[in-house]
Amino acid sequence: MKPQNPSLTAPQVKGLVQMIGLTRDREFNCSECLEHVSEYAEHQMTGQELDAAIACIEQHLKLCPECREEYEALLKILRAGA
Amino acid sequence: MTDEEINWPETLRAQDSGQQAAAVDALRGVLLNGLRIALNNRPEVSEAQLEDFAQDALLRVLDRLDQFQGRSRFTTWAQAIALNTAFAELRRKRWRDVSLDALLTAGDQMAEPAILPDDVLGGDEDRTRLVNALRRAIAEELTPKQRAAILGELQEMPFNQITALLGTSRNAGYKLLHDARRALKNRLLEAGITGTDIQSAFTL
Ligand SMILES: [Zn+2]
Repeated sequence: MKPQNPSLTAPQVKGLVQMIGLTRDREFNCSECLEHVSEYAEHQMTGQELDAAIACIEQHLKLCPECREEYEALLKILRAGA
Repeated sequence: MTDEEINWPETLRAQDSGQQAAAVDALRGVLLNGLRIALNNRPEVSEAQLEDFAQDALLRVLDRLDQFQGRSRFTTWAQAIALNTAFAELRRKRWRDVSLDALLTAGDQMAEPAILPDDVLGGDEDRTRLVNALRRAIAEELTPKQRAAILGELQEMPFNQITALLGTSRNAGYKLLHDARRALKNRLLEAGITGTDIQSAFTL
Protein backbone atom coordinates (compact mmCIF):
# COMPACT_ATOMS: atom_id res chain seq x y z
CA MET A 1 0.00 0.00 0.00
CA LYS A 2 1.26 3.48 -0.76
CA PRO A 3 -1.14 5.83 1.02
CA GLN A 4 1.36 8.69 0.68
CA ASN A 5 0.73 8.76 -3.08
CA PRO A 6 -2.97 9.35 -3.61
CA SER A 7 -3.06 9.24 -7.43
CA LEU A 8 -3.60 6.08 -9.43
CA THR A 9 -1.11 5.46 -12.23
CA ALA A 10 -2.21 5.19 -15.85
CA PRO A 11 -1.77 1.38 -15.89
CA GLN A 12 -3.87 1.13 -12.71
CA VAL A 13 -6.64 3.24 -14.22
CA LYS A 14 -6.53 1.14 -17.39
CA GLY A 15 -6.69 -1.99 -15.25
CA LEU A 16 -9.76 -0.63 -13.48
CA VAL A 17 -11.46 0.36 -16.73
CA GLN A 18 -10.69 -3.06 -18.16
CA MET A 19 -12.17 -4.78 -15.09
CA ILE A 20 -15.31 -2.69 -15.51
CA GLY A 21 -15.46 -3.55 -19.21
CA LEU A 22 -15.30 -7.27 -18.42
CA THR A 23 -18.06 -7.06 -15.80
CA ARG A 24 -21.26 -9.04 -16.37
CA ASP A 25 -24.42 -9.04 -14.28
CA ARG A 26 -24.06 -12.75 -13.66
CA GLU A 27 -20.57 -14.14 -13.04
CA PHE A 28 -19.16 -17.36 -11.67
CA ASN A 29 -17.76 -17.06 -8.17
CA CYS A 30 -14.60 -18.94 -7.16
CA SER A 31 -16.51 -22.06 -6.03
CA GLU A 32 -18.41 -22.28 -9.29
CA CYS A 33 -15.13 -21.81 -11.12
CA LEU A 34 -13.56 -24.69 -9.17
CA GLU A 35 -16.59 -26.86 -9.92
CA HIS A 36 -16.06 -26.49 -13.67
CA VAL A 37 -12.35 -25.85 -14.07
CA SER A 38 -11.35 -29.49 -14.65
CA GLU A 39 -13.79 -29.79 -17.52
CA TYR A 40 -12.64 -26.45 -18.93
CA ALA A 41 -8.95 -27.40 -18.69
CA GLU A 42 -9.55 -30.66 -20.56
CA HIS A 43 -11.44 -28.76 -23.26
CA GLN A 44 -8.49 -26.40 -23.59
CA MET A 45 -6.06 -29.31 -23.90
CA THR A 46 -8.02 -30.99 -26.67
CA GLY A 47 -9.33 -27.84 -28.38
CA GLN A 48 -12.93 -29.03 -28.06
CA GLU A 49 -15.71 -26.53 -28.30
CA LEU A 50 -17.02 -25.01 -25.09
CA ASP A 51 -20.40 -25.66 -23.63
CA ALA A 52 -22.15 -22.30 -23.09
CA ALA A 53 -22.64 -23.22 -19.43
CA ILE A 54 -18.91 -23.25 -18.78
CA ALA A 55 -18.05 -20.31 -21.03
CA CYS A 56 -18.55 -18.09 -17.94
CA ILE A 57 -15.37 -19.58 -16.62
CA GLU A 58 -13.20 -17.71 -19.15
CA GLN A 59 -14.52 -14.43 -17.88
CA HIS A 60 -13.94 -15.45 -14.25
CA LEU A 61 -10.36 -16.49 -15.04
CA LYS A 62 -9.67 -13.08 -16.58
CA LEU A 63 -10.89 -11.30 -13.47
CA CYS A 64 -9.69 -13.63 -10.70
CA PRO A 65 -5.92 -14.02 -10.35
CA GLU A 66 -6.23 -16.78 -7.76
CA CYS A 67 -8.42 -19.05 -9.89
CA ARG A 68 -6.16 -18.25 -12.85
CA GLU A 69 -3.08 -19.32 -10.90
CA GLU A 70 -4.75 -22.61 -9.98
CA TYR A 71 -6.00 -23.16 -13.52
CA GLU A 72 -2.52 -22.62 -14.99
CA ALA A 73 -1.09 -25.08 -12.49
CA LEU A 74 -3.73 -27.61 -13.54
CA LEU A 75 -2.77 -27.18 -17.20
CA LYS A 76 0.85 -27.78 -16.20
CA ILE A 77 -0.13 -31.12 -14.66
CA LEU A 78 -2.22 -32.11 -17.68
CA ARG A 79 0.58 -31.17 -20.08
CA ALA A 80 2.95 -33.37 -18.10
CA GLY A 81 0.51 -36.21 -18.73
CA ALA A 82 -0.09 -36.76 -15.04
CA MET B 1 -3.32 -49.14 -14.25
CA THR B 2 -4.23 -45.95 -16.09
CA ASP B 3 -6.83 -43.46 -15.03
CA GLU B 4 -9.25 -44.66 -17.69
CA GLU B 5 -9.12 -48.22 -16.38
CA ILE B 6 -10.13 -47.34 -12.84
CA ASN B 7 -13.63 -46.38 -11.85
CA TRP B 8 -12.34 -44.09 -9.16
CA PRO B 9 -15.56 -43.00 -7.43
CA GLU B 10 -16.79 -46.58 -7.25
CA THR B 11 -13.47 -48.01 -6.04
CA LEU B 12 -13.06 -45.26 -3.45
CA ARG B 13 -16.45 -46.26 -2.06
CA ALA B 14 -15.82 -50.01 -2.30
CA GLN B 15 -17.25 -52.22 0.46
CA ASP B 16 -14.11 -54.32 0.36
CA SER B 17 -11.93 -52.39 2.78
CA GLY B 18 -8.69 -53.67 1.25
CA GLN B 19 -9.69 -52.51 -2.22
CA GLN B 20 -10.92 -49.20 -0.85
CA ALA B 21 -7.71 -48.55 1.11
CA ALA B 22 -5.62 -49.35 -1.96
CA ALA B 23 -7.63 -46.86 -4.02
CA VAL B 24 -7.22 -44.17 -1.37
CA ASP B 25 -3.46 -44.76 -1.34
CA ALA B 26 -3.30 -44.67 -5.12
CA LEU B 27 -5.24 -41.41 -5.24
CA ARG B 28 -2.97 -39.85 -2.62
CA GLY B 29 -0.04 -40.80 -4.89
CA VAL B 30 -1.72 -39.26 -7.93
CA LEU B 31 -2.39 -36.01 -6.08
CA LEU B 32 1.13 -35.87 -4.64
CA ASN B 33 2.63 -36.41 -8.08
CA GLY B 34 0.45 -33.65 -9.55
CA LEU B 35 1.38 -31.22 -6.79
CA ARG B 36 5.08 -31.98 -7.30
CA ILE B 37 4.74 -31.08 -10.98
CA ALA B 38 2.61 -28.01 -10.38
CA LEU B 39 4.89 -26.59 -7.69
CA ASN B 40 8.26 -27.65 -9.10
CA ASN B 41 9.13 -23.98 -9.69
CA ARG B 42 8.89 -23.28 -5.95
CA PRO B 43 11.95 -24.69 -4.26
CA GLU B 44 10.74 -23.28 -0.93
CA VAL B 45 7.98 -25.90 -0.80
CA SER B 46 9.35 -28.99 0.91
CA GLU B 47 8.45 -32.61 0.20
CA ALA B 48 6.86 -32.79 3.67
CA GLN B 49 4.62 -29.82 2.81
CA LEU B 50 3.65 -31.43 -0.49
CA GLU B 51 2.67 -34.57 1.42
CA ASP B 52 0.58 -32.50 3.83
CA PHE B 53 -1.17 -30.76 0.93
CA ALA B 54 -1.84 -34.12 -0.75
CA GLN B 55 -3.30 -35.53 2.47
CA ASP B 56 -5.52 -32.47 3.08
CA ALA B 57 -6.63 -32.55 -0.55
CA LEU B 58 -7.37 -36.27 -0.37
CA LEU B 59 -9.74 -35.73 2.56
CA ARG B 60 -11.50 -32.94 0.70
CA VAL B 61 -11.86 -35.07 -2.41
CA LEU B 62 -13.25 -38.02 -0.44
CA ASP B 63 -15.65 -35.68 1.29
CA ARG B 64 -16.95 -34.38 -2.05
CA LEU B 65 -17.15 -37.62 -4.02
CA ASP B 66 -20.89 -37.12 -4.50
CA GLN B 67 -20.24 -33.85 -6.30
CA PHE B 68 -18.18 -35.48 -9.06
CA GLN B 69 -20.41 -35.48 -12.11
CA GLY B 70 -18.13 -37.16 -14.60
CA ARG B 71 -17.76 -34.16 -16.89
CA SER B 72 -13.97 -34.46 -16.77
CA ARG B 73 -11.66 -37.30 -15.84
CA PHE B 74 -11.86 -38.02 -12.14
CA THR B 75 -8.17 -37.34 -11.60
CA THR B 76 -8.38 -33.90 -13.29
CA TRP B 77 -11.28 -33.03 -11.01
CA ALA B 78 -9.35 -34.23 -7.96
CA GLN B 79 -6.17 -32.37 -9.02
CA ALA B 80 -8.14 -29.11 -9.30
CA ILE B 81 -9.27 -29.58 -5.69
CA ALA B 82 -5.71 -30.41 -4.63
CA LEU B 83 -4.37 -27.22 -6.25
CA ASN B 84 -7.09 -25.15 -4.64
CA THR B 85 -6.09 -26.63 -1.27
CA ALA B 86 -2.34 -26.18 -1.76
CA PHE B 87 -2.48 -22.62 -3.12
CA ALA B 88 -4.84 -21.50 -0.34
CA GLU B 89 -2.25 -22.70 2.16
CA LEU B 90 0.73 -21.20 0.29
CA ARG B 91 -0.97 -17.82 -0.11
CA ARG B 92 -1.57 -17.58 3.61
CA LYS B 93 2.15 -17.37 4.10
CA ARG B 94 2.66 -14.27 1.93
CA TRP B 95 2.05 -10.56 2.59
CA ARG B 96 1.45 -10.10 6.25
CA ASP B 97 2.56 -6.54 6.89
CA VAL B 98 -0.55 -4.54 5.99
CA SER B 99 -3.26 -3.74 8.54
CA LEU B 100 -6.97 -3.37 7.88
CA ASP B 101 -6.66 0.27 8.98
CA ALA B 102 -3.96 0.94 6.39
CA LEU B 103 -6.08 -0.69 3.68
CA LEU B 104 -9.21 1.27 4.64
CA THR B 105 -7.28 4.54 4.93
CA ALA B 106 -5.82 4.00 1.49
CA GLY B 107 -9.31 3.06 0.28
CA ASP B 108 -10.66 6.38 1.67
CA GLN B 109 -8.28 8.20 -0.64
CA MET B 110 -10.01 6.54 -3.57
CA ALA B 111 -12.93 8.90 -2.85
CA GLU B 112 -10.67 11.97 -3.16
CA PRO B 113 -10.63 13.86 -6.48
CA ALA B 114 -6.82 13.64 -6.58
CA ILE B 115 -6.99 9.89 -7.07
CA LEU B 116 -7.78 10.39 -10.77
CA PRO B 117 -6.05 13.35 -12.43
CA ASP B 118 -8.04 14.51 -15.49
CA ASP B 119 -5.25 13.64 -17.89
CA VAL B 120 -4.26 10.28 -16.41
CA LEU B 121 -5.24 8.53 -19.66
CA GLY B 122 -4.03 11.36 -21.87
CA GLY B 123 -5.71 14.69 -22.44
CA ASP B 124 -8.25 13.88 -25.17
CA GLU B 125 -11.87 14.77 -24.62
CA ASP B 126 -13.42 11.28 -24.53
CA ARG B 127 -10.88 9.96 -22.09
CA THR B 128 -11.23 12.99 -19.84
CA ARG B 129 -14.99 12.45 -19.84
CA LEU B 130 -14.45 8.79 -18.90
CA VAL B 131 -12.04 9.71 -16.11
CA ASN B 132 -14.45 12.30 -14.72
CA ALA B 133 -17.35 9.86 -14.74
CA LEU B 134 -15.18 7.19 -13.13
CA ARG B 135 -14.05 9.57 -10.40
CA ARG B 136 -17.65 10.41 -9.52
CA ALA B 137 -18.70 6.77 -9.66
CA ILE B 138 -15.91 5.72 -7.28
CA ALA B 139 -16.75 8.50 -4.82
CA GLU B 140 -20.52 8.09 -4.92
CA GLU B 141 -21.31 4.46 -5.70
CA LEU B 142 -18.82 2.45 -3.66
CA THR B 143 -18.73 1.59 0.04
CA PRO B 144 -15.46 2.14 1.94
CA LYS B 145 -14.80 -1.62 1.87
CA GLN B 146 -15.39 -1.78 -1.87
CA ARG B 147 -13.01 1.12 -2.44
CA ALA B 148 -10.39 -0.54 -0.27
CA ALA B 149 -10.80 -3.88 -2.06
CA ILE B 150 -10.59 -2.29 -5.52
CA LEU B 151 -7.50 -0.33 -4.54
CA GLY B 152 -5.91 -3.50 -3.14
CA GLU B 153 -6.58 -5.25 -6.46
CA LEU B 154 -5.11 -2.37 -8.48
CA GLN B 155 -2.00 -2.44 -6.31
CA GLU B 156 -1.70 -6.17 -6.99
CA MET B 157 -2.24 -7.09 -3.40
CA PRO B 158 -3.01 -10.81 -3.20
CA PHE B 159 -6.73 -11.36 -3.15
CA ASN B 160 -6.50 -13.64 -0.11
CA GLN B 161 -4.88 -10.83 1.84
CA ILE B 162 -7.69 -8.46 0.90
CA THR B 163 -10.33 -10.96 1.98
CA ALA B 164 -8.41 -11.80 5.17
CA LEU B 165 -8.20 -8.12 6.12
CA LEU B 166 -11.85 -7.51 5.33
CA GLY B 167 -12.80 -10.67 7.20
CA THR B 168 -14.67 -12.28 4.30
CA SER B 169 -14.51 -15.64 2.56
CA ARG B 170 -13.07 -15.91 -0.94
CA ASN B 171 -16.57 -16.10 -2.45
CA ALA B 172 -17.86 -13.17 -0.41
CA GLY B 173 -14.77 -11.16 -1.36
CA TYR B 174 -15.34 -11.93 -5.03
CA LYS B 175 -18.96 -10.83 -4.66
CA LEU B 176 -17.90 -7.59 -2.94
CA LEU B 177 -15.67 -6.79 -5.91
CA HIS B 178 -18.22 -7.95 -8.45
CA ASP B 179 -20.89 -5.70 -6.90
CA ALA B 180 -18.40 -2.82 -6.97
CA ARG B 181 -17.52 -3.36 -10.63
CA ARG B 182 -21.20 -3.62 -11.51
CA ALA B 183 -22.03 -0.40 -9.67
CA LEU B 184 -19.21 1.41 -11.49
CA LYS B 185 -20.24 -0.01 -14.84
CA ASN B 186 -23.90 0.98 -14.40
CA ARG B 187 -22.92 4.46 -13.32
CA LEU B 188 -20.68 4.85 -16.37
CA LEU B 189 -23.48 3.65 -18.64
CA GLU B 190 -25.84 6.17 -17.01
CA ALA B 191 -23.28 8.87 -17.72
CA GLY B 192 -23.40 7.91 -21.39
CA ILE B 193 -20.04 6.12 -21.41
CA THR B 194 -20.35 3.23 -23.85
CA GLY B 195 -18.52 -0.06 -24.12
CA THR B 196 -16.58 1.44 -27.03
CA ASP B 197 -15.39 4.33 -24.87
CA ILE B 198 -14.24 1.79 -22.30
CA GLN B 199 -12.43 -0.25 -24.95
CA SER B 200 -10.63 2.78 -26.34
CA ALA B 201 -9.31 3.70 -22.88
CA PHE B 202 -6.97 0.73 -22.78
CA THR B 203 -6.09 0.33 -26.44
CA LEU B 204 -3.66 3.21 -26.29
ZN1 LIG C 1 -11.91 -17.03 -8.52
